[in-house]
Amino acid sequence: MKIIIILTLLLFSLQYSHADAYCSLRDPVAQIQQLYPQKTNQRSIVKTVDSSTRNLVKLALPSNDLHFSELGRHTLYVAMKNTQALGYVHVRSEQSKWGLVEIIWALDKDLKIKDFTFQRCRSPKKKILDNEDFRNVFIGKSYEELKTLLSSDGKTANKILLDRAKGAPELASVVLRCALKTLLITDLLWGEELKKFNP
Amino acid sequence: MRKSKAFKKKIMRIVSAIFIFFSVPSYADFSDNLRVSLDGSARLNNNIAENNTSRIYALGLDTHKVFSSANGDIGYAVGQLYLTKLSNQTPYSSLFNSPDDKQFVIREAHLNYTAGPQWLPNIRVGHFTLPFGLEASIDTNGRLLDYYHGKKLGTKLDWGVGFNKVLSQVQYEFSYTMGGKNEPKTINSSYVFSGRIGSLSHLDFIIGLSFLDAKIDNIQRKRFAIDWQYYWQTWGLLGEIAFGKDDKFQKEWQEEKYSLLELNKTSINEQLKFYGQYIFTDREGESKNQQLINLGVRYQIDAEFELSLSSRKQLNTPESGKKQNLIRLQLRYRY
Repeated sequence: MKIIIILTLLLFSLQYSHADAYCSLRDPVAQIQQLYPQKTNQRSIVKTVDSSTRNLVKLALPSNDLHFSELGRHTLYVAMKNTQALGYVHVRSEQSKWGLVEIIWALDKDLKIKDFTFQRCRSPKKKILDNEDFRNVFIGKSYEELKTLLSSDGKTANKILLDRAKGAPELASVVLRCALKTLLITDLLWGEELKKFNP
Repeated sequence: MRKSKAFKKKIMRIVSAIFIFFSVPSYADFSDNLRVSLDGSARLNNNIAENNTSRIYALGLDTHKVFSSANGDIGYAVGQLYLTKLSNQTPYSSLFNSPDDKQFVIREAHLNYTAGPQWLPNIRVGHFTLPFGLEASIDTNGRLLDYYHGKKLGTKLDWGVGFNKVLSQVQYEFSYTMGGKNEPKTINSSYVFSGRIGSLSHLDFIIGLSFLDAKIDNIQRKRFAIDWQYYWQTWGLLGEIAFGKDDKFQKEWQEEKYSLLELNKTSINEQLKFYGQYIFTDREGESKNQQLINLGVRYQIDAEFELSLSSRKQLNTPESGKKQNLIRLQLRYRY
């Protein structure tokens, strides 16, 4: 009887699930250290990406959708130097013809791109990230600024970005879509809570 | 029966303690940084070689909770408690008392303290997967896809303490556990000392070295292993080679060699995964080695439902004359 009561109480906190068991969750510790070398720790804030978030993404970025693995409980990391917040880290996936591309985004406290790196990218063109011209298009940009880099189909990058992508147009569009969704979802779900780190 | 009741009481105490711990007001809301999923599965096993059909049902809760302070994360807890029911299952695991038994089973249940200084390893306490080989970086709990941890090492999970850390180029985990498998105690001086050091687990090429020194079920085991994973676009090539020795009868060491090779292919949206495994085991004192082929497919229907099918066949005829021939089907639901 006791166990039924406890299980019932726990069931009340059920949220959108994740297809993999939770023991497989790994924090991107090495990558956060790479993006914020001066950090002493990170602070996790877990929120639920649900169907209403998905609909808001579809509304803001027509022709785009979230992969099913993007639904469920997701973590935003606040990079900390002792008690001071240095910025945020958010990992998001984007479908590509090479499977899911996972990108780790470092955001500043005004929710602009500070830096980024691949967590997983199995494209033969992944060295695109070594191209400073390409990276610099993203760094320091907000959601609104990056949205101007989308072409009229709402999915592919426009000429400004493609000129800097040098032979990797598909991957450039994947990175752009991932950046836009990351900034949008971060603001939608975590924006209010993050204000306390940027008074 | 008495053992079963005592075990259930123990589980109740653990669950209650975790629940009370999570409910303490100083940790803010109960749901802060908490993941909870209901996880249910039904598995049908058709053992053609033994002319036997069996079923395994599991229903449980999978939980993950991150604890934080003003300075950042302190650590996290994982708790997985499942009611598991067998139906005509032979052979059955030592966790059960009959082919139709049902038991509460703890899969993973551990705390990992991560708030130490950079030079200090994280400290894990509880019931966790032994850090050895491929299984250490690929979770297969509740899935048909398996890397044969339990069969090779005597157990897949055990109660104890571990030290782990992800550094800029390598990650490692070492653990000392009690060898009681599902029970937090030593049995006949059982123990397991195991560890793995490898390259970072998010890379396209991952390589790891593992060791194990253990006494479980009165069998002494020593193992060394090398494992690797290589991913190219939507293909994966995985392998593990382990060698060592077992001592079942006190000072009569028997050498054992084991290798696993897996080729897998995932669809670009990751809903479909095909895999094929070749497993080779050679034990000193046995006239024949064992060669198995595993073929499987996993279809993630949506975020909640997953359908898996696998077929295991033995290539060479063992001394008993009966080649393994097993087909398994599983439907899993997570919410």
